Amino acid sequence: MRLPAMWLMLVLFMVMFLSLMLGGFVFWPNDFIQGLSAQQSLVLWEIRLPRVVLSAVIGAGLAVSGVALQALFRNPLAEPGLIGVSSSAAFGAVFIIVLGSFFWQEVAVWQISGAAFLTACISTAMLYLIATRRGHTDVALMLLAGVAFNAIFGALTQLLLIFSDDSQLRSALFWMMGSLANLSWWSVSVVSASVAVATMGLWHLVKPMNAFLLGERVSLQMGYAPKWLKWQVMGWSALIVGVSVSAVGVIAFVGLVVPHMIRLWVGADHRLVLPLSALGGAVLLVLADLLARQVLYPAELPIGLLMALLGGPFFLLLLLNKRQFKGVSSLQGKGF
Amino acid sequence: MVVRVPLNGSPTLCNDAQLRMIEVHNLCVVRENQVLLNQVSCEFEAGNIHVILGQNGAGKSTLLNCLSHEITPTKGQIIWQGQPLEHYSYAQLAKERGVLSQSNELAFSFTVQALISLGEEVAQRSKKHAEKVIATVLEVCDLTSLQHRDYLTLSGGEKKRTHLARVLAQIWPEEGECFSGKWLFLDEWTASLDIKHQQRLGRYLKQWANQGLGIIMVLHDITLTAQLADRCLLLSSGKIVADGGVCNVLQAPVLQQTLEMSVRVDMDENTNRPVVYPTLF
Repeated sequence: MRLPAMWLMLVLFMVMFLSLMLGGFVFWPNDFIQGLSAQQSLVLWEIRLPRVVLSAVIGAGLAVSGVALQALFRNPLAEPGLIGVSSSAAFGAVFIIVLGSFFWQEVAVWQISGAAFLTACISTAMLYLIATRRGHTDVALMLLAGVAFNAIFGALTQLLLIFSDDSQLRSALFWMMGSLANLSWWSVSVVSASVAVATMGLWHLVKPMNAFLLGERVSLQMGYAPKWLKWQVMGWSALIVGVSVSAVGVIAFVGLVVPHMIRLWVGADHRLVLPLSALGGAVLLVLADLLARQVLYPAELPIGLLMALLGGPFFLLLLLNKRQFKGVSSLQGKGF
Repeated sequence: MVVRVPLNGSPTLCNDAQLRMIEVHNLCVVRENQVLLNQVSCEFEAGNIHVILGQNGAGKSTLLNCLSHEITPTKGQIIWQGQPLEHYSYAQLAKERGVLSQSNELAFSFTVQALISLGEEVAQRSKKHAEKVIATVLEVCDLTSLQHRDYLTLSGGEKKRTHLARVLAQIWPEEGECFSGKWLFLDEWTASLDIKHQQRLGRYLKQWANQGLGIIMVLHDITLTAQLADRCLLLSSGKIVADGGVCNVLQAPVLQQTLEMSVRVDMDENTNRPVVYPTLF
């Protein structure tokens, strides 16, 4: 644990530093020695730093929620974006933005986050009920239900947009693509607190989560009552997904790519996978954000779009790789 | 048609003996209007190997699941070493009994050793002792050379042995102690194991039973049952049709009636055990 964690922390520190320095406005070491101008320190403290911190926190959170959902479904392909949890959270957020304006003058951040959290909770529970019978998850059913959820919530979100005015439309569109631009310290602290609480909550469950991977029956045999565990894991992962989606929109594949890499590196034990995935997710999203800002400069690529471009092929490779090993039939059974 | 085989041994129990027993009283399990177990009463004694026999769907696994508290019976009670089973928490039970299920699902790549240590951690031993226990169960299940292999790349039999090792690590006795007070439930443990490992583990099971381990297993292999069992329990459509010592239950007429199998049974003079030959003719 020590060595991989130190490596990842070092890398995280380096990419965060790089991401702070680079951008439309490049900082040189000289600038710090000579002292920053008022404009420079405004860019650094009010634009660059919150963005870098938030991308790290959200990357960590999404990777952790991926780990949690994978434990819940006992399958390494479960991922909030893939199985429709993120798009349901986006629907919840847009729902409150559009319909909330009829009831309140201004829709508060906590209302948007709360709605996203609630819909994420409900959709996770529904998916679990659909895909899992008698403690056994059908992988094909889980992925197909995810396809259906993505379609349903995507359509519902677009339906809402028909009834929205111009400013609502703009802020809703950004959920569809995922963007880290224009964030306040306020939303950074709300997201950070939620991700920290949820990650700590999950950290207390690593042992029962390990047993849960062996099946509900076996985790009973090993002394852990799985009922509570399921609700807790669902709740914590939905909290992360809800809050991060309401802050930056849908960013898929972080929760798939990162835990997969970490497992290849250190094995499947959650005591290692959970903290290292958090670090790895932070590294990945900070890097991706840096790339999204630089690649089309002065225009900016939405981070959700970039992650889909990178993560989609990765997912296909993963599927191909599994197929080679075990034949297509493994998609059906205990599988993967 | 019910064949009653008289119980051997004295019927009177002292308190101490009760502490080493699992008693089942009038157990009924009904699921979706199907009666899976019907008024089952029996006793299991520590230090013995109990084999539950019966046709497919006779309720063998259901009985085992009730004993391991994975399902709650519709009616009836199980007294676990002197106290009702419901009084135990799952964490307590996990330290007293290990369960090897018929099938196991795991889609994540653990090494053999890491998977076994998941079971070992349940016992909360010191680190040094834990390593020793893991090394021992690896040796017992003939997995030492496979300990760093990825579980997902193992064959069916190797996977089975890995899970058995995990279960053993969970209930392995503390240093200097014997298995007394511990129980091992095995559901068709011989399935997918080669004969070599069936025999190797069969010998170990006998040895541990002598050290006080109570073993209850569901088995279809009647030949192995004859060599392994101390007591046999025959189930047919959720009812007990025979319960007793291995010599009393494993008799040709009993087996023909309840298991509907063609069989010839001899007596081995040396071991004083029946020898069962299932025949096709």
